Amino acid sequence: MHRHPPTNPNAPEAVVIEDLHKRFGELEVLKGVSLTAREGDVITLIGSSGSGKSTLLRCINMLEVPDEGRVVIGGEAIGLKKGRGGRTVPADVRQVDRIRTRLGMVFQNFNLWTHMTILENVIEAPVHVLGVSRAEAIDRARMLLDKVGILSKAESYPIQLSGGQQQRAAIARALAMQPKVMLFDEPTSALDPELVGEVLLVIRQLAEEGNTMILVTHEMGFAREVASEVVFLHQGRIEEQGPPDKVLVNPDSERVRQFLSRHLSGAA
Amino acid sequence: MNWELMWDSVPTLLGGVPVTLELVGLALLFGAVVAFAVAMLRLSGNRIAERAMAAYVFVFRGTPLLVQIFLIYYGLGQFAFVRDSFLWPFLREPFWCAILALTLNTGAYTSEILRGAILSVPLGQVEAARACGMSRTLVFRRIVLPVAIRQMLPAYGNEIILMVKASSLASTITLLEITGIARKVIAQSFAVFEIFIVAGTIYLLLNFLASRAIRYAEWRMTPYLRARG
Repeated sequence: MHRHPPTNPNAPEAVVIEDLHKRFGELEVLKGVSLTAREGDVITLIGSSGSGKSTLLRCINMLEVPDEGRVVIGGEAIGLKKGRGGRTVPADVRQVDRIRTRLGMVFQNFNLWTHMTILENVIEAPVHVLGVSRAEAIDRARMLLDKVGILSKAESYPIQLSGGQQQRAAIARALAMQPKVMLFDEPTSALDPELVGEVLLVIRQLAEEGNTMILVTHEMGFAREVASEVVFLHQGRIEEQGPPDKVLVNPDSERVRQFLSRHLSGAA
Repeated sequence: MNWELMWDSVPTLLGGVPVTLELVGLALLFGAVVAFAVAMLRLSGNRIAERAMAAYVFVFRGTPLLVQIFLIYYGLGQFAFVRDSFLWPFLREPFWCAILALTLNTGAYTSEILRGAILSVPLGQVEAARACGMSRTLVFRRIVLPVAIRQMLPAYGNEIILMVKASSLASTITLLEITGIARKVIAQSFAVFEIFIVAGTIYLLLNFLASRAIRYAEWRMTPYLRARG
């Protein structure tokens, strides 16, 4: 079985998260999480639902703004300030917009733009955000759609595609921005079981090409194969982290053991 | 039933069609501008603007159009500052009073249709656009508004048909659109039944064409719904 090479300690830091706290009303979802992803890392976030893994991922590109802590992308810290009512808000929304162009995000529910064809979905942000010429964007989009195996669907609308095809289109859309880091938020959780494989295949290929990726997943077997590091979250804190063969096979934490025994079928 | 009278009145009543179309067309055009501005303000997050626009919608949806037409046509002229203003050349004309009333009325309804459509755009699609680094205005222009406009088409089609019918109320302030001409012909012929049947048929025909046009617009603008299956 292919294994992702372990973290290279000398690679530059792609994403640094320091002491992140996030509350939704009374509920504190993240209680001080720190994490570093170096270039080429594939970090999988696992844990039971409500452990804060999706929130942590969404804090990286500020879809959720953390209440406390720091997020540094490619050496650039995202400026935060206290807004009205004591809520933390980005100090400069333009900085956030700019940093987001370097972070590709893939959502659980694909979130393709329904009124555009697949090709239009993929060229939308390169043309309107990065200012790439339409012809160049189309060339690149066709290359990416070919890569994820749905070039024949370029002129189709999202509603005409299966869930697996939609998610592969969403991956192509994220890649079209040539991001430095890819964020995956449970990319296969909304898919029928027989469609999971085709999406994992694409993500695995991206991992093998050396892309920096952070992904939230429930696919333990997949996490073991593609991850350079596995992070187990429990109630808003990191319970255990390390190489997949350690955390997913012989964890120190009793909680991780229990979690894995419940997900044994996935890890087999 | 006097068939000959009915037949002879057709060209006369059709003479009111241009005025009806002008009333409806201009009111829909100005009303769309009003509706867009009101919907934006209602979603602006500015509490004063939101309250003011909610009050406007409340008043113009909650009172009869006929009352609004009378208040504007008979009421505004009582105020010296209105008579002295540069708007007076317009506001003393029944045509522009009718346009104003129809505009404010459809503006209130359409702003609610648009606001609802904007709020119904799936959050996930907005998040996906934000995650690509699109600014708020770009997300609105490229994702939210195109989806919302398509979403609101069926309800807006209804509003267009209601406006065609509502324009008949302009006859109460002397305008000679279809209904106004019908009343004039009736005053001379006393053939209430026959003439109103002809007038009603003309409205029916106009709305048939309007609903066809709306359905075509819907068909053109939503290839992604047609493509289903």
